[in-house]
Amino acid sequence: MVAGDDRDPVAQLRRGVAEPCVLALLRAGERYGFDLARELAGVGGLVAGEGTVYPLLARLRRRQLVETTWKESAQGPPRRYYRLTAKGKAELDAFVEQWQQFRSTVDAVLGGDR
Amino acid sequence: MSTRSDRAVADYLERLDDLLTRLPDATRRQLVGEIAEHIAEARTGLDPGDEVGLLALLDAVGDPEAIAEEALGAAPVATAPPRSDRFVPWLVLLGGFAVGVGWLVGIVLLWSSDTWRRRDKLLATLVVPGGLFLPVLLLGMGGAATATACTSSGGPGVPTVTHCTTSGFVLALPVGIALLLVTVLGPILVAVHLDRVRTRR
Repeated sequence: MVAGDDRDPVAQLRRGVAEPCVLALLRAGERYGFDLARELAGVGGLVAGEGTVYPLLARLRRRQLVETTWKESAQGPPRRYYRLTAKGKAELDAFVEQWQQFRSTVDAVLGGDR
Repeated sequence: MSTRSDRAVADYLERLDDLLTRLPDATRRQLVGEIAEHIAEARTGLDPGDEVGLLALLDAVGDPEAIAEEALGAAPVATAPPRSDRFVPWLVLLGGFAVGVGWLVGIVLLWSSDTWRRRDKLLATLVVPGGLFLPVLLLGMGGAATATACTSSGGPGVPTVTHCTTSGFVLALPVGIALLLVTVLGPILVAVHLDRVRTRR
């Protein structure tokens, strides 16, 4: 399980990067919540299950990093679509930059001689 | 639809709902609704009788515990309960005596607070409107009704007024007592329940 031990460094790392990863999936355009949940859970190891994506999306919505619209669907009830806001895009860009620095620092330390 | 699959989904959602009680009412309801929609959507690609497939589907959605942890971990700090909460059980119980307005105020405070769940709110609103004021009102009306019945049947000929009163009274008595017990005990028990929920939080 992804969730669990608070002292597990990888679990904590995952928790930290899940939100920016959702933002990154929205960069190309708006997405249907169901598809987002499926894709995030499908890449493996990033979230504990499809269901955990929804509290995450709610948090991003509260912070106004994403916004939602309802759209009629051919079959079934209307669907909620998620879209990046300007604020969300800025946050994502900032994260990408920080992540690249962070990754090379960690790689250098872990690799020793690199 | 296979009823066993339906029950598995209902159990799953109920477990999730129970784990989320610390969340504000609206947030909890929205999240459980979204998960329910997600499951419903995922089930459209599933043979209705495929119970093994459904279990795999729920497994992919994830443990309710994991979802709750994600939701509660960075939840909006469930706001401190409003101070008015402590008056709500009393207003709902006795507010009716204040020209009925007190009860209404209690109900408005009750519904606007996150302290109680929706079923508590429904229960307190329906059992019984007006609180303890209702049985008092009923008692008054009951007395009036008995009196009216007596005079009307006492009109033609030379009727025995005593006989009329007794028959009317005998019929009404068990029903009246039951009604009185329900309308008196109901609001008291509900008010006690509201207060217990409040102090447990």
